[in-house]
Amino acid sequence: MDYQCKVISNVCLKGDYYRIVFFAPEIAEKAKAGQFVHVLIPTLKDRILRRPFSINDTDAEKGLLTVTYKKVGRGTAELALLQEGVSCRIMGPQGNGFTVPDEETFPILVAGGYGSAATFLIAKHSPQKGIFLMGARSEKDLILFEEYEKVNYDVRLATNDGSVGHKGFVTELLDDAIAAAKGRKIMIYGCGPEAMLLALGRLALEKGVKAELSLDRNMCCGTGACFACVVKVKDESAPEKWRYSRSCKEGPVYGAEEVYYG
Amino acid sequence: MADLTTILGPLTLKNPVMTASGTFGYGAEYEEFFPIKELGAVVVKGVAPWVSNGNPMPRVAEVTSGMLNAIGLQGPGVDKFLHDEHYLPFLRRSGATTIVNIWGKKIEDYCEVAERLTAEKEGIAALEINISCPNVKEGGIAFGTDPKMLSKVVSAVRKSTNLPLITKLSPNVTKIADFAIAAQDAGSDMISLINTIPGMSIDIETFRPRIANVTGGLSGPAIKPIAVRMVYEASKAVTIPVIGMGGIVTAEDAIEFFLAGADAIAVGTAIFSNPTAPMEVIAGIDRWLDAHGIKSLSEIVGAVKI
Repeated sequence: MDYQCKVISNVCLKGDYYRIVFFAPEIAEKAKAGQFVHVLIPTLKDRILRRPFSINDTDAEKGLLTVTYKKVGRGTAELALLQEGVSCRIMGPQGNGFTVPDEETFPILVAGGYGSAATFLIAKHSPQKGIFLMGARSEKDLILFEEYEKVNYDVRLATNDGSVGHKGFVTELLDDAIAAAKGRKIMIYGCGPEAMLLALGRLALEKGVKAELSLDRNMCCGTGACFACVVKVKDESAPEKWRYSRSCKEGPVYGAEEVYYG
Repeated sequence: MADLTTILGPLTLKNPVMTASGTFGYGAEYEEFFPIKELGAVVVKGVAPWVSNGNPMPRVAEVTSGMLNAIGLQGPGVDKFLHDEHYLPFLRRSGATTIVNIWGKKIEDYCEVAERLTAEKEGIAALEINISCPNVKEGGIAFGTDPKMLSKVVSAVRKSTNLPLITKLSPNVTKIADFAIAAQDAGSDMISLINTIPGMSIDIETFRPRIANVTGGLSGPAIKPIAVRMVYEASKAVTIPVIGMGGIVTAEDAIEFFLAGADAIAVGTAIFSNPTAPMEVIAGIDRWLDAHGIKSLSEIVGAVKI
C-alpha cells in the first residue's frame, strides 16, 4: 500500500551516508528485514520515478520507519535535503524479506557497504546473537556496524584498503565465522554489491550452509508490473535453465540455491 | 456527475480511462491499491504464443521528465496467460474490463494468440494488436512502420477473432494518418496511440548506453505534446474511435487528449510513480466536466478550436 509519511528526522551519519526517519505506522508494523520501501521524493520535480530503499529499522510502537542511505545521485541528493515535517508518499513494505531466524538458528550476516542497512532488523530480533561480517572499500564506507555491536553481535570488519579490519574482501571472513559457529544450525544472510553476493552464494553452496541473498536492482514500479528489476534465477524447465525473476516482487531476497550463477 | 460512459464502436466502457499496456502488469499487481474493475479497462502486458525472457539488464533509464525502457516484452505466453491463476483467471474474478495486448514475430503468431484468446474469451473485452514495440528485433515495430505490413497483420487478425480489435500505432512514422487509415481499412474497430518513441541515453562516466539494448522507448510527460499532435492528426483521418496516450499524469492532461480527438485515454508511465494515478484521472475528468457544465464527455472529443 501507499501512505503519506512525515519526515521525523534526517541526519548525516558520516560522509555521504544519511539516515531518515519517517512516521509510517502501517509500514513499521508490518515490515521485516530485507523488505524495502518505494519513496516518491516530492522535491525531485523533473524525475518521474520513485526510489527504493531497504528498511533499516522500525519501531512499531512509535510508528517509526528508518531508512539509511548513501547520497549517490540526484534522488538521494534531494532526499538528503528534506526537512523535518515534509511528507513523502511511501509504498511498502514491498518485497519478500529474509526468513526470520528461529530459536535454533545462528545467523551469520554478511554486508557489503550500505548493505548493512538491510540486515539490521535480523540482528535486532534474532533469538540467537550471531556474527556480523561487514566489508567496504575503506573506513569511511563502514557504517552501522556499531548498531550491531549494541545488539550483541560479534562484529568483524574487512576493508579493501586495509584501513580497518581484515585487508581484503568480506567473503574472506566467512570461513572463520562458520568455524566459530560449528555444530549449530547456521543461516547466512547477505546484502551488498552483486559481485559480493554471487561470491557469497557460491561459497555457501560449496560449504553446504543455507544462505539468503538480497539481490536488488534499479527499480521502476516496485510492485511487479514493469519487469525492469529482474534477476536471473535457476529454472530447469526453461531452455536456457534460467528465467528472469522480478526482484521487487519475488525478491529481493533469494535463496543461494535459487540464484543462477551463469 | 457527468456521464463518463464511453462507447468505442463495439466496446462500451464505464469510463474513458484505461491503463497502457506494459505499465500495469496483468492487473493483479495493483489490486491492493484500488479495485481494478473501476477502471474503464485494464490493458494487460503483451501476450505472445511463447514464454519470453525479454531483454538483458539494465532495462530502464530515467531521463528528464520521462524514462527509457527496453523490457523486450518479457511475458508468460498465451497458455499460462489463459490458465495460470495470476493472469486471466484473476482478471475474470476481479470483474475488470480486460483488453489483451498481443504480439508475435510473424503474422501467424498474432493470429495464433488471437485465436487462442477468442476460443476462451470469457472476461476478455477486446484485443489490442501491438505492432509498435520498438524493443523487439522481429515483429513488433517492423509491422508498425510500413502501412502495407500493418494492413496485412490487421486483416489477418481480423479474420482470427470476433472480439473488438484495437490497433496500437507507432509514433515512429512520418505520416501517422496513413497508418490510422490503413488500420481502419483493414478492419480494426479502433486505434490506440502512441507507443513509446525510440531514444537513447549515455552514461558519461562509463561511455556506455544506460540500457543494455542500447536504445529504448521514451515515455512519460516528455512525450505528451508529440502524442497530442499525433492523436489530433490520426483522429482527423479516421472515423473509428481513437484511444490516446503518451505522458498522461493528470485529468488535465487527459482533457487535452479528448480535445485533440481521443474518445478514450490510457494512463501509463505515471502509474510507476503513483499507482492510483488512473483513478485520480477518472475523478479529475468528472470534476472538470462538472466545473465546465458539460454533461457528456463526447461533447469535447475533437473540440479543439483551430
